Amino acid sequence: MINFDFEYCKPKTWAEAIKQYNNYRSQNKQVMYVAGATEFISRARMDEVNPEVIIDIKEIQECRVIHQQNSELIIGAAVTLTNVADSNVFPLLTKVVKQIATKTERNKITIGGNLMSNLPYKEGILPFLLADSKIVIATDKGLEKRSILQVFTDSINLRDGEFIVQIITDIEIIKQPFFTEKRTKQSSVNYPILTSAAIKVDGLTRVAFSGLCPYPFRLQQIENLVNDPSVKGEKRIQKIMKQLPAPIVEDMHATQKYRAFVFERIVSKIIEQMEAVS
Amino acid sequence: MDTQNLTYVGKDIPRIDLKDKAYGKVRYTNDESKPGTLSAALHISTHAHARLKHVDVNEALKSPGVHAVITGEDFPYQVGPLLGDRPPIAYKKVRYYGEPIAVVVADQEHQAKYAAGLIKVEYEPLPVLQSPREAIKKEAPLIHENMKDYTVMVKGVHSVPNTNIANLTKIRKGDMKTGWKESDITVEEKFSFKPADHAALETRVSRAEILKDGHVYIYSATQGPFYVQKLLSECFNIEPGKISVETPLVGGAFGGKGCVQLEFIVYLASRAVGGRMVSLVNTREEDLISSPVHIGLEANVKLGATKNGKLKAASYEFYFNTGGYSDMGAGMSKAGAVDCTGPYKIDHVHCDSYCVYTNMPYATSFRGFGHPELTFVMERAMDLLAEKLAIDPIELRLMNAIKPGDTTPTQTHLNSSNIGDVSSCLRRIKELINWSEGQSTTTQDGKVRTKGITSFWKTSSTPPNATAGVILIFNIDGSVNLNSAAIEHGQGTKTVLAQILAEKLQMDMKKIHVTMEVNTKYDPHQWKTVASSTTYLAGRAVMAAAEDAIFQLKQIGAVALKCLPADVVVGNGKVYIKDSPEFYVNIKDVAVGYKFPNGNSIGGLIIGGGSHIVRHLTPLDPETGYGKPGPQWTVGAQAIEVEYDPQEYTYKIIKAATVLDAGKVINPNAAIGQMRGGMYLGLSWASRETFMFNEEGRVLNPQFRSYDILRASEVPEYLVDFIETPLVDGPYGARGIGEYGVIGMAGALSNSLSIASGSSLNQLPLTPEFIWESVEGRND
Repeated sequence: MINFDFEYCKPKTWAEAIKQYNNYRSQNKQVMYVAGATEFISRARMDEVNPEVIIDIKEIQECRVIHQQNSELIIGAAVTLTNVADSNVFPLLTKVVKQIATKTERNKITIGGNLMSNLPYKEGILPFLLADSKIVIATDKGLEKRSILQVFTDSINLRDGEFIVQIITDIEIIKQPFFTEKRTKQSSVNYPILTSAAIKVDGLTRVAFSGLCPYPFRLQQIENLVNDPSVKGEKRIQKIMKQLPAPIVEDMHATQKYRAFVFERIVSKIIEQMEAVS
Repeated sequence: MDTQNLTYVGKDIPRIDLKDKAYGKVRYTNDESKPGTLSAALHISTHAHARLKHVDVNEALKSPGVHAVITGEDFPYQVGPLLGDRPPIAYKKVRYYGEPIAVVVADQEHQAKYAAGLIKVEYEPLPVLQSPREAIKKEAPLIHENMKDYTVMVKGVHSVPNTNIANLTKIRKGDMKTGWKESDITVEEKFSFKPADHAALETRVSRAEILKDGHVYIYSATQGPFYVQKLLSECFNIEPGKISVETPLVGGAFGGKGCVQLEFIVYLASRAVGGRMVSLVNTREEDLISSPVHIGLEANVKLGATKNGKLKAASYEFYFNTGGYSDMGAGMSKAGAVDCTGPYKIDHVHCDSYCVYTNMPYATSFRGFGHPELTFVMERAMDLLAEKLAIDPIELRLMNAIKPGDTTPTQTHLNSSNIGDVSSCLRRIKELINWSEGQSTTTQDGKVRTKGITSFWKTSSTPPNATAGVILIFNIDGSVNLNSAAIEHGQGTKTVLAQILAEKLQMDMKKIHVTMEVNTKYDPHQWKTVASSTTYLAGRAVMAAAEDAIFQLKQIGAVALKCLPADVVVGNGKVYIKDSPEFYVNIKDVAVGYKFPNGNSIGGLIIGGGSHIVRHLTPLDPETGYGKPGPQWTVGAQAIEVEYDPQEYTYKIIKAATVLDAGKVINPNAAIGQMRGGMYLGLSWASRETFMFNEEGRVLNPQFRSYDILRASEVPEYLVDFIETPLVDGPYGARGIGEYGVIGMAGALSNSLSIASGSSLNQLPLTPEFIWESVEGRND
């Protein structure tokens, strides 16, 4: 149960959403965008967030689309993970999002919400990082298209009041051979010790990971090593381990040592499997 | 085996609550609401061990809708089922993370919760104890400084003041010196697991109202309405007859609702607002950690055997981790001692079983009551012994299986009735799990398939006067209402009782109406619905009540039929003459008074009553454990088959099998369901369920998103079969079976994975990381 009062808005257009946000902010109110609202509800009942206003963007037309236009796949931020998976427009994304939470939750969780999640995992971002996708952002000045690799550091950096409307991905990349595997402490439904994703584009393997470090990552240095057959087996893995962007996480799901073991296993598997596809 | 020629017992009769459950029409405690009911909310501790320097409730009191805020100061007395050690609301100190510190009563639930968040607590942190082995050390800080002043509520609880020991049970059987001398070989091992939870779907919920005439009405999701009545009466000094407790169907319990906790709090809350009805519903987080949990254990075991595999001596040290308070932990530590050897004949036994306080959530009964825990320890040790002796694990168990004529660790004599047939269970499980194909095989893709085995036993740790009663009332159509205080929490107990009645009265099941809800005002007393004891206790009460009704029906029927009562029998809705069934009178015409054609009437209402009480049970001798702890021992054997990936240290549970000596299976389908449910619970616990703690004793996973539970997609294929060695005084020979499916699972899973991984896995839960660590550690 959420024990505090808040205002609820459900704008029909992105422009109206931005206007409402700015309006409430000018009254010094705490405002939060939601779509599936799963994270808002679970955090609000634990008193971890207490916004005075929530703006629900799931009725905004642009946020609800899944379609191909010319050579691009456009996915609205408010499309649920279930719909992303059922449409199967991006097979790697399908597999990755099906590993998130449970079906009941995926019926509510949206792809945009997952990318902007407060949790460190945001596994839905991995395929988009690999595909160099673009995100369409609603801003004061209109819709802006930015490269996901540019706006993403340890999370997607948006300015106050902005929200993701769509994610745009090159159709050609979607068709490339891929790999993904999620490892948990035990039950398949749990937070990841490690979620991995890889695709092979123009003969080169791209890799991205979640769960290992405090945030998801895709790094050029790591991909260079993954694609460098001159460094063999064990050694290559050891070199990759040295390129991680942050210390490996140690928490109730796994120790640092075990996460490292799982990472080594999965990286070898990725190299092995991606080398096998031409 | 079915020589009794039975009509309803032994048949797959659909559960009587099937339709209502399928249609979602069943009402649980929190489905009822009454206008004007106030809501209570808890403020719980953020420290595992701390002195409460100040609890500031001023802001909360000023918050909208708030009627009252109560703290430990409002009732600074200790309660508890066995040892009075727990204030219902923390008083002066907190002993576990999540312990209730204050209770807010408000008009609306959200107002109460909001105000509970405004309470400010000033803590003075104390050293936190997280291991019973640590807590038992002389220099360990005391969690209960005044234990010597605590009231022992039940004879047989032996706390040790100025230590953290809430109960100590000793078993001294035979002579250990002789036992070790006769042993050619010994194995010794340590075991451990932390507390976990029951994780029932329905969180605990209670309501209380105090009327102006002093009557107290409690509505609660409990396994023991009469137990709630008893404990509230003792605690608040209210006449038991003035306390009415109502319980509709319960949404899963697993022992966790045998504890009286919220009932105390909600009574105090109602008292604080002039007796108005107050409702308290646990959030999932509170249900996981504030309310009691599944006990933890650290143990040492040493077994001695001849080189041929005959067990000669066994020594055990059990350190049960009861958390901040003893509750039923003190009973489980005793139960663990009573049956420490498992179902094996061992002449020389030494056991010290401690119930130890730590700064973890406190323990109450968990399905199996100490037995899943002791069986994990003993059965792992049996496999280690088999390995050392190079004897097949099933053969070793068969060679030592306990039999009529042997004695238990507490020196109870076993006969052909009070113990089931261990050997037959083992032989049948061997077939079920296809043991002959080999205990370990390798698949084509490099995985290892292994099988693990356990055998187990359990007696019910009932108090020596545990009882149940049944009342039968007839309707004008000749149908019968069956009233008993057995709680339906999904196990099908009400269906089983109806089957026993149908058999006894030879009456169509459709003519038997069982009251599903329990109300202490109208239903006869029953101890609790726990300890696999309901089919036995309430089942015998049904038979006694049926006999009472039959006697009365015969009296009146004989008058109507102009013969002697001895000439008539009851069956098929009739009272008829034994040798001339065409002369009969319908039950409907005698059950509410028989009217002659001329209008004269005799008989009045027929009301059948009956009860049953366990007999000849005794408390244990404090020095030797000598005594009779329970009425009978149900036995069984279980097996697991896993597919293990030696590269990744992950595994899948492929098959889980149970063979149980049920005495007599009253409802085969329901019994199979009980075994499956038990195996599920045992596997979930053994493979993943545990609370995770940080250094300060904070529970890190008090939510289902992080408290891992076996998912429906991960359950194995279940195989179930029964052996039937009748319990002479059981209803139609039936033994208690409710808890048993869970008991051997942890042992069987650890045995199969120990073989698969080549590393002895003596901790729970059996996660891939733990297996990896054990195997890697061994390689180092």
